Amino acid sequence: MTLLALENVSVAYDHQHYILRDFNLNIERGQFISLLGPSGCGKTTTLRLIAGFLEAKSGQFTFNGKNYTKVPVNKRNFGFVFQSYALFPHLSIFENVAFGLRLRKVSDSEIAKRVSRMLEIVSLTGYEKRFPKELSGGQKQRVAIARALVIEPDLLLFDEPLSNLDANLRVNMRVEIRRIQQELGITTVYVSHDQEECFSISDQVAIMNNGVIEQLDRPSTIFKYPRTEFVAKFIGFSNFIEFAYREDRDGEIWLKDKATSFRVPKHAGTDKSGGRKIAIRPEDINITADSPFIPSTGQIDTGKELNQVAGAVMVSTFLGRSYQYVVRTEMGDFTVNREMEEPYANGQKVLLTFPGDKLVIVN
Amino acid sequence: MKKRYVYWLMLPGLLFLTLFMLLPIIHTIGSTFFQEGQFTFEGYLHFLRDRYYVDILLTTMQVSLVTTMACIVVGFPVAYHISMLSPRKKGFLLALAIFPLLTSSVVRSFSWIIILGKNGLLNSWLVGLGLIDQPLEILYTPTAVMIGLIHLFLPLLIISLVGVMENIDPDLVKAAESLGSSRFTVFRKVIFPLSIPGLILGSILIFVGSMTAYTTPTVLGGKKRVIATFLYQNAITLNDWNSASVIATIMIVITLLVIGLMTKMSHKFRVKG
Ligand SMILES: Nc1ncnc2c1ncn2[C@@H]1O[C@H](COP(=O)(O)OP(=O)(O)OP(=O)(O)O)[C@@H](O)[C@H]1O
Ligand SMILES: [Mg+2]
Repeated sequence: MTLLALENVSVAYDHQHYILRDFNLNIERGQFISLLGPSGCGKTTTLRLIAGFLEAKSGQFTFNGKNYTKVPVNKRNFGFVFQSYALFPHLSIFENVAFGLRLRKVSDSEIAKRVSRMLEIVSLTGYEKRFPKELSGGQKQRVAIARALVIEPDLLLFDEPLSNLDANLRVNMRVEIRRIQQELGITTVYVSHDQEECFSISDQVAIMNNGVIEQLDRPSTIFKYPRTEFVAKFIGFSNFIEFAYREDRDGEIWLKDKATSFRVPKHAGTDKSGGRKIAIRPEDINITADSPFIPSTGQIDTGKELNQVAGAVMVSTFLGRSYQYVVRTEMGDFTVNREMEEPYANGQKVLLTFPGDKLVIVN
Repeated sequence: MKKRYVYWLMLPGLLFLTLFMLLPIIHTIGSTFFQEGQFTFEGYLHFLRDRYYVDILLTTMQVSLVTTMACIVVGFPVAYHISMLSPRKKGFLLALAIFPLLTSSVVRSFSWIIILGKNGLLNSWLVGLGLIDQPLEILYTPTAVMIGLIHLFLPLLIISLVGVMENIDPDLVKAAESLGSSRFTVFRKVIFPLSIPGLILGSILIFVGSMTAYTTPTVLGGKKRVIATFLYQNAITLNDWNSASVIATIMIVITLLVIGLMTKMSHKFRVKG
């Protein structure tokens, strides 16, 4: 069931420059959804729009079946967790968490009960009397989460809540956030530009580019089957080949160029009608030394092996566990990662094989 | 020890302050406890026993207190408004607010005579509009002094409040709003408590400034004396330096007391963040 729907929403900070234009987003009840994308693509803007800090120039925001477009922030009952924590410096931890409850005229005994339960959930029992200044970054972040959760919000919004924390703490905290979210079953929108973070905690990830959602899917689907070139690039598909012709045969898609043709078996990542561009991750290309006795003509489709291209190593870089090569071929340069003991020398003639099931067609 | 020379740079200033401020103050205060070579509190007792003197003291305190309060009431919303604006508008409005500080207080006090006088602008308007029959007696009363002082000191309060308000993280306002606060509640529960340091600073400046103001009460206060004009009268007109010293000491003590009290209050409200 759809809980939240943004329909054809447009947002501009000034009068000409639109950050979001005809933006659409649907979120199911109870879902944890992340907005992921490069800096400046409009993630925070989207979140502020949902929170009510920003007003849309046009379009509609529906929440729980009601039109929320004009509902002011303080009437929305959404919890917002800021990147800067935004704890009230003049209030104790207890009063910070109790802030929203006091505004709701909850009785003192009820406040005491709910705040201490919330502090227990975020493992901060015993810190009630301290002030924000006396906490570490991770503890502050947990107070901020407790403060947003204690009002039992209808929606929880996070704007890069972990970006000020060190790597270890980030991993711990994201597990915490996911645990609390599932325990309480609160629909959550989470913004980050850390891929791993988004993929590990979300039910759904929306990849944004320039104010547009390019793909909204489960993390594993996005990871394996990016739909657009931008998404593919964003999640590490660094090799692209565009073909001039495409032919759909049963079970296979044939892609042809003047010199080469590729065959891609149909799978979940190839169902874009008419797409003629393929993408592959550097670690999915097989690289082998080209035997000097076989002349490499580049006419792959005449050879026995499918989807093969010959080339020469231009650059090799040591990545720790593997080597990365830039291989120059007739079809352009490819980046290939390969675990091996001894690297190929520069200039080494190699054969690149593109496994059909690892090839994805992108728009 | 390379930084030794810094102390030498401070020497002229220190010497100046010691010679022309510290020593005179010590001398002034010291002299109040001696009459004809005898240690005595007679100077103070004489002052406090006299109704006329105590009245002047109380009037001064009252004028200063009301001035401070009025500046807070008038200045707070203005400062809040200015602090919320874009940098360009903020700069412009702050410049406007500070502008009165750049004109001489003598000129400003005299211009109030034109406005508040018996046949001044205010009275002729009010009478012209039929709101009153008889002109109001404002000029040469403590009220006129207060009006002049508020006009004089309001910019100080606005500046010190804008200073602290500007530094309040805008996310705090958003956080309070998202937790359910209305505009007014945000002000009451977040902006106001976080502005207290600026408020205290501004209040100290205004209170002490009003206590010791001389020009404005002289021009607008008429025969009604405040402590500063009274001191001048004793010293210059009556040539009674002994009484003048007693009054000066009382002023110093009250000023220090007020500063101490306010600082203590600011510690109580101190932002613990
Ligand atoms: N207050 C503002 N006034 C004008 N333009 C703004 C404002 N805030 C953001 N923008 C612009 O809107 C665009 C989107 O900004 P937004 O903050 O949504 O990006 P983001 O995706 O959150 O980026 P990041 O990952 O860096 O936080 C940017 O081009 C930014 O310059
Ligand atoms: Mg952002």
